[in-house]
Amino acid sequence: MVSTLIEQIVNGIVTGSVYAIVAVGMTMIFGVLRAINFAHGEYYMLGTFGAWFAIDYLGLSYEASIVVGILSTIVIAYVVGQLVMRRMVGAPAESGVLATLGIALVLQNTVILVFGGGYKFFSGGYIEPVSILGFSLAEQRVLILVVCLLVFIGLELMVTHSRMGKAMRAVSQNVECCEVVGIDVPQVVLRTFILGAALAALSGVLTAPVNVSVYGGMGELITFKTLPIIIMGGLGNVRGTFFAAMILGIAESLVATYVGLQYRDTVGFATLILMLMWRPHGLFSTQARF
Amino acid sequence: MSLTQTSERARRRDYRIPLGILLFSVALAAPFIGSRYVVHALIIALVFMLPAHGLNLLVGYTGLLSLAQAAFFGIGAYTAGLLAIGYGTPFYVNAVVAGLAAGAVALPLGVPALRLRSTSFVMCTLGFVIIGQAIAKNWISVTRGDMGLSGIPKPYFELGPLSFTVGGTTGFYYLALAIGILATLAVFAVVRSPAGRNMVAIRENETLAESLGVPTWHYKLIVFMLSAVFAGVGGSLYAHYLTVVSPLTFQMYYSTTMLIIVLGGGAGMISGTIFGSLLFVGLTEALRITPELRMIAYGLCLLVLVFWFKQGFAPVINRVWNAIGGAK
Amino acid sequence: MTHTLTRRMLCLSTALLTVAALAPGLAGEAKADEAPIKLGIVAPMSGPNARYGAFSMHGAELAVKEINDAGGVNGHKIELYNADSQGTPVEGVSATRRLIDQDEVDFVIGDVSSSVTLAMQPVAEDAGVLLLNAASSNPKITYGAGVGGFKWTYRNYPTDENRAYVVAKYAAEERGFTKFAVLSVDSDYGRSAIEFTKKYLPEFKGEILSEDYYKEGEVDFRSVLAKIRDGGAQAIIMYGLADTTPIIARQMVELGLAGKVTLVGNGEFNTEKTIASAPTALEGAVEAAAWLPAWDSPESKAFVEKFTTTYNEAPNNHAYVHWDTVNLLAAAVREAGSVEREAVRDALSKIKYKSPVGEVTFDDHNQARLPMILLQIEDGKPSIKGAFTADIQYPAN
Repeated sequence: MVSTLIEQIVNGIVTGSVYAIVAVGMTMIFGVLRAINFAHGEYYMLGTFGAWFAIDYLGLSYEASIVVGILSTIVIAYVVGQLVMRRMVGAPAESGVLATLGIALVLQNTVILVFGGGYKFFSGGYIEPVSILGFSLAEQRVLILVVCLLVFIGLELMVTHSRMGKAMRAVSQNVECCEVVGIDVPQVVLRTFILGAALAALSGVLTAPVNVSVYGGMGELITFKTLPIIIMGGLGNVRGTFFAAMILGIAESLVATYVGLQYRDTVGFATLILMLMWRPHGLFSTQARF
Repeated sequence: MSLTQTSERARRRDYRIPLGILLFSVALAAPFIGSRYVVHALIIALVFMLPAHGLNLLVGYTGLLSLAQAAFFGIGAYTAGLLAIGYGTPFYVNAVVAGLAAGAVALPLGVPALRLRSTSFVMCTLGFVIIGQAIAKNWISVTRGDMGLSGIPKPYFELGPLSFTVGGTTGFYYLALAIGILATLAVFAVVRSPAGRNMVAIRENETLAESLGVPTWHYKLIVFMLSAVFAGVGGSLYAHYLTVVSPLTFQMYYSTTMLIIVLGGGAGMISGTIFGSLLFVGLTEALRITPELRMIAYGLCLLVLVFWFKQGFAPVINRVWNAIGGAK
Repeated sequence: MTHTLTRRMLCLSTALLTVAALAPGLAGEAKADEAPIKLGIVAPMSGPNARYGAFSMHGAELAVKEINDAGGVNGHKIELYNADSQGTPVEGVSATRRLIDQDEVDFVIGDVSSSVTLAMQPVAEDAGVLLLNAASSNPKITYGAGVGGFKWTYRNYPTDENRAYVVAKYAAEERGFTKFAVLSVDSDYGRSAIEFTKKYLPEFKGEILSEDYYKEGEVDFRSVLAKIRDGGAQAIIMYGLADTTPIIARQMVELGLAGKVTLVGNGEFNTEKTIASAPTALEGAVEAAAWLPAWDSPESKAFVEKFTTTYNEAPNNHAYVHWDTVNLLAAAVREAGSVEREAVRDALSKIKYKSPVGEVTFDDHNQARLPMILLQIEDGKPSIKGAFTADIQYPAN
C-alpha cells in the first residue's frame, strides 16, 4: 500500500516536471505582459513537431532533433513576438485573451495544413525502463526530472543575478517606471516571450519520446493543464510555479489511482478553485497582485 | 472604454427612424428573402446573441471578464433538453426554467469567484466550464454521460385552448427572433435604469463607486447571475434547435465565441452585441469557402480585431448611425 | 488613421468577395455529359479533431477520383463538396445546411463525432437528403433511423454492440481470461462499448476489477497502469483511440506489464507503427476491427497502396470507411439506375454490396450488417481469427 503511494507520488513528480517547464515560461510572460498566453501550449507542440521533422525527414539523431525543435520554435516565437506580443504592452486583459487565442488558432491550424491532420509517431529518445529505488521508470523520465531541476536552478539565478532577469522583474513591477529609467520594455517583453516559448518547446521535445504521438491539437491540452498552475504558483512567480506544478502533478496522479482517470483533467481547476477560496492570492505570495 | 455620447449638434435630416423600420422589416422578412441556409445562420446568430447579451452586461458594463458563459449555456441546454424529453413541457416553461436554473447555479459559484481579482477571476470562471463538462460526462444517471441527450422535440406551445408546435427553419427563426428582441429590450431596460449607471460606475472605478455608496458586491453578484440567466435561455434555444446536447456543450470554444461577439461588436453597447453576433456568424460562415484555411483566417481576423479595432466595431457603427441621423 | 484603414479594408474585402463569387463560376466550366452526382462530406477539418477529418476526406477523395477516372457511375461524374464540422454539433449543422442549400448536394456523408451526426439527422430528414454515416458508433443513430424514425439516415459502420460481444467471447473462451480491468476512452464510443461488454461479460464468467476512462489527448497512464498491475487483472479491455494505443503500450513496458497483461478491444493495435512502438506489450493483443490495413483482399490491398502513394501516409480506419462508403453510394446509384434521391435510397435498402471485407446489407433500421474482423497479434503481426456478423437487437420503443 505504502509502496503504491510512494510510486504514485514519484509518478506525480515526473508529470509535474513536464508541467513546470511549460508553466514557468507562461508565468514569466504573464509577469512582463499581464496577459494570459492561451497560445503557450502551441510552442510545446511546435517544438515537438520540429524534432519529429528533424528525425523523420532530415534523419537526424534525437539529440540533434532537440536543438532543431527548440531553434525552429525560437524563430517562430521571434516572428510572433515582433508582430504581436510587443504590441500587447499595456493592452487590456481581454485584448490579450483574444490575441493569444488568435495566435493559437493560426499556429495550430497552420501546422495541420502543412503536415496534415493525422497523428505522427515520434521515434527517438531513451525509452528503455530503468529501475530506481524499486520503481520502474523510462530513462527519458529521469532525464526530464534532471532537466527540470537544472532549468529552475538556472532561471532562479538568471532572475536574481543577470541584467535581463533584473529588467524582467522591473518590468513586471512597474512598466512606466521602467520606461522612465530607460529600460526598453518591448525588448524585454520580446526576450522573455522567446525564452518562455523555447522552454515550452524544450518540454515538448523531452516528453515526445514517452508521449509517442505528435499531432496539431496537442498544444491545447498542455495550455489547459498549465493555466491553473500559474495562478496557484502566484502569477509571475518562478519558484511558486515549480511547487504548484509538483502539487498538481502529484494530485493528478493520486486522483487517477484512487478516484478514476476520468476525473484527472478536472483536478487542476478543482484544486485551483478550492485554493482560491482559501487563499485568493495564490499559495506563494503574501498579497494579491493580479 | 469611454461612454458613448449622443451628439447635441443640430441635425439635418434624420433617417434613423426609417432605417430602423427598414432593418426591422428585413429581419421580419428574412425567411422570404434568404435561403434556408441564410436563415439557419441567422438563427445561430440569435442563439449566441443571448449569452453574449449577458456577457456584455458583465464585461461591457460592469468590467468583469468572464469565461463562464459556456457553463451556464450548457446548464440551460441540459435543463431544457431534460424537461422537453422527460416531461414534454411547453417551450416557454423550458426556457424560463433553463434561465432560472443557470441563474441559481451562478449564485453559489459567484459568491467565492467574485472575491477574486481580474486574472484569477478569469481562470476561476474557466474552471467552471471544465468542471461542468466533467459533471456532464460522469453524472450518467441524469445527463446520460457521453451519449448526451438526443431527439429533443421541437418547441411546443400551449396558450389556453391554443396549442401548436414550432417546426421548420422559418418557424424557429421567428421564435428565436422574438426571444432575441425580448432579451434586447430587457438588457436595454437594465442598462438605462439607475442600476445600469451604477454598473458603469463599478467598471470605471470600483473603489470610487463603493465610496459613493454603491453596494458593489451586490451589484456584481446580481449581474453575474443575470448574465447566467441570459446564457441559460440561450442554451434552451440551442437545445431545441439542434435537438442534441452533449457534454461538449461545456467547452471553452463557446465561451470564447461569446467573448469574441461582445468585444468584436464593441463592449458596453447593446447594438455592438447585436452587430457582433451577426458579424461572428457571417465571418465563420463566409470563411467556409476555404475549408483548409478557415481557422487560420479566423485566427488572423481575431488579431486584426484586437489591434485595429480596439473598441470593436461599435465606434464605426456609431459614426455611420450618427451620419444617417444627420450629425456632422 | 482608422478612416483610411477601414476604407482599405472595405476595398480589400470587396475584392475578396468578388473573387470568391467568381471562383465557382470559373470552376463550373467543365461539364460532364450527364448531370453530376453532388456529394457532400462533413468532417472535422480544423481544431483538435482535425486528424480524423483529414483521413476521412482523403479516403473519400480517393474513391471519387477512382470512380470518375473510370468514367463515373453510369456516366455521372461525382462532384465532391466538403464542409468543416470542427467536431461540434453547431458547426456540423451549419456545414450540412450549407451543403444542402448552397451547394445543393443530394447526398451527404458525415460526421465522425456521434453528437454531430445526431444533430445532422433531422436536418437531412427535413431536406430529404440522403445522410450516409461512415464513422460514428453511437447506437442511438440507428435506433432512431429507418423504422425508428429518420428515413434518410443510413449507417455503414458497425455499432459497438457486435464488437463488444465478439471481443468478450474470444477473450474468455479462447484465452481463458476471467479478470479484466477497463481502460477506455472517455467518449460515447468508449463508454458504450464498455456498457455492452458489461452486458455480455457475465455470460462468460468474467469480472471487471477496475474501471477507468481517459480523456482524449491523455498522455500519462502510469498511475492507472500501476493500479491495474497491483489489482491482478489478466487483461485490459480497451476501446480507445488509435493515437493513444502506442502511449499506453509503451508505458506498459515501462511498468513491467508487457507480457503479463493483455490488451483486448479496439484501437488500431494491428498497425505496423503501433506494434513497433512496443512489440512486447502488444504481443497477444486481441482486437475486433471493422477493417485493418493488413486485411487480405485484393481491393483492400490496392486501396492501401494507392492511398499510401497518393498521400504519403498509410490509411487508417477512418480513411477506409469513407472510401468504402463512397463506393457503396456509387453501387447504390448503379443499382437504382438513377441519381434521384428516392431511387438511390430505395436501392440502398435492398442492396447487397460487395465490400472488401464481405457482403453488406442494411436492416430495417438502416444499419449495415457488417462483419467484424477478429485478430490477434502473433509474432509482431496481426493474425486474423475470423469475421463475425451479428444482428442487432433494438430496444422496443
